[in-house]
Amino acid sequence: MRISDRRFALYLMAPAGLFLAVFVAYPLFRLVADSFFKISPMAGGPRDFVGLDNYVRAFTSEAFMGAGWRTLAYTLVVVTLEFALGLGMALLFTTLGRKSEVWRTVFLYPLMIAPIVAGLLWKFLMIDNFGLIGTLLHQAGILQNPNQIGWLSNPDIVLFSVAVPDIWLTTSFMCLVLFAGLQNIPGDLIEAARLDGAKAPTLLFRIILPLLRPVIAVALVVRGIDAARAFDTILIQTNGGPQSASETMSLLIYRTMIRFGDPGLASAMGTIYLLAMLGVAFFAVATIWRPGKDN
Amino acid sequence: MSIAETRPTGGGTTGGNSAGELPHRPRHTGVVPAGPNNGQEAPTTAGNNRRRRHHAEGLEAGKRSTRTLLWILLAAAMVLYAFPFLYLLFTSFKTPIDTIAVPPTILPREWTLENYTNALGRSGVLASFINSAQTAIISTLLSLVLAVPAAYGITRYKTPSGRVFIMAALVTRMVPPVAIGIPLASMMATAGLADTPIALSIAHTTISLPLSIWLMSSFFEAVPQDLEEAATVDGCSRLGALWRVVIPVVSGGIAVTAIFAFLASWNEFLFALLMTAIRSQTTPVVIANFQTQFGLDWGSMTALAAVYSIPVILLTLLLQRKIVAGMTLGAVKG
Repeated sequence: MRISDRRFALYLMAPAGLFLAVFVAYPLFRLVADSFFKISPMAGGPRDFVGLDNYVRAFTSEAFMGAGWRTLAYTLVVVTLEFALGLGMALLFTTLGRKSEVWRTVFLYPLMIAPIVAGLLWKFLMIDNFGLIGTLLHQAGILQNPNQIGWLSNPDIVLFSVAVPDIWLTTSFMCLVLFAGLQNIPGDLIEAARLDGAKAPTLLFRIILPLLRPVIAVALVVRGIDAARAFDTILIQTNGGPQSASETMSLLIYRTMIRFGDPGLASAMGTIYLLAMLGVAFFAVATIWRPGKDN
Repeated sequence: MSIAETRPTGGGTTGGNSAGELPHRPRHTGVVPAGPNNGQEAPTTAGNNRRRRHHAEGLEAGKRSTRTLLWILLAAAMVLYAFPFLYLLFTSFKTPIDTIAVPPTILPREWTLENYTNALGRSGVLASFINSAQTAIISTLLSLVLAVPAAYGITRYKTPSGRVFIMAALVTRMVPPVAIGIPLASMMATAGLADTPIALSIAHTTISLPLSIWLMSSFFEAVPQDLEEAATVDGCSRLGALWRVVIPVVSGGIAVTAIFAFLASWNEFLFALLMTAIRSQTTPVVIANFQTQFGLDWGSMTALAAVYSIPVILLTLLLQRKIVAGMTLGAVKG
């Protein structure tokens, strides 16, 4: 007469499950299916089955391979810098103790700002001629000319410049996670090490970082996934330019789809991108993170 | 974000508050999970602590000179970190010509609201605010209605299907939006929902739902099972126990989840770019369009960006206590 707990739980999960199936799984299925066709960008246009042709085109195209490497480089730059800065801030907040609580909250505010606004803001700071950073460096006597460094116009450095807003936005997140982890390190342990005469670097590299390992893993995985999907900040700053030097995978797929009107090729690129992301993420989740294991 | 929110529910960080009331109590007891022997532990270590009071507890810096140095460092970091946004605010009050003056100045030479009147007076800008709010509200509600029962089913009954489900939700978080954006847009067009806030809020829910399920699961995890068992014994149905007993207890957690779902939608750009045209355009798209449609109108762009960011910052600051309350909820159990 009464339904079993198991079934009850299933009923509770069904609406969300159905939603994800219809609006995530099905579009993904469409994406993979489209990748085997040559599709006219016009609505109702012809669809010709071409097998793996789109994949061959993707892997042989310079734009695709370039975007892949750039996405990897971008992700590494963002995650490394965020980790270093976030850990620094978390240690600073921890060593200052409870009195820094207000500032901890203030430090979180960039997390609320839209990426598009952050990208715009940094573009405004770095842009040639009236960008403030070049001017300030010039006034400080570091640069001879405010435009000496073309932050967003020099293809050699633009990939680093477009990463700045991303780092500015989410170092707070890294700091928040690492700070929470630091609070769980037993104080006795640190004091014992101090009494044994351990200096700050030893304390950091031999005790704190090894104890933080699981937290660090989670933070790096979460941020790595987000950084590899970056779109908003780059689009608004450079739109992938100059000379595609800041064109990451999301941007390339978007442009292939919208600008070059080749949904088939874009779908193949999207499928490869998705598989690569899932592969890395699954590996990370299964080996380092293991959600639910500690609950 | 999910991790950051789930961590405090482990009971660690909140103990620090009580430690602060007892001056002799070593502060690091705050990181020991709240338990009955915490109180007994205090007197024994207190003597120790008094002898080297100036010394650090745990990782806290002890020496006054070190602390001063660290405060200076923090002040410098905060100034550097806040500066870009402050510069955006200052710029928005400049005259449109001064906005792109060479060389630029930090403070406006002349304070004016001209950029604001220009930006808000442009056609479609105010409508885009309404669209953004509408989309974010629908998406938040949808997210909560779906995530709350699902998370409860996952955490309370621990069935294999629940474990599969939370993993699936996690995997969803890894899907690049650009990969599902186009198929999703064409699905919406087929359903006759093209260029509507409903379609966009459904798309945004694909982002916020996995996050909400994850967050709500950790909040439900913190609710003692006895609570609803007592309610069921008293004759409540399982659904009744969820609605009348459990939901009120996790209301703080629901508020936190709602804030994150709202923010995810309010700030989202890619889906909005792919799925909206004129009618349902949200403000991030309008901000981006300033760049192409109207040349480079930096003044209006900064003003609009400021107007769009400030409500969210204020909202978060206002509800901050609620967020803290929600996050500490887990520590109250037992």
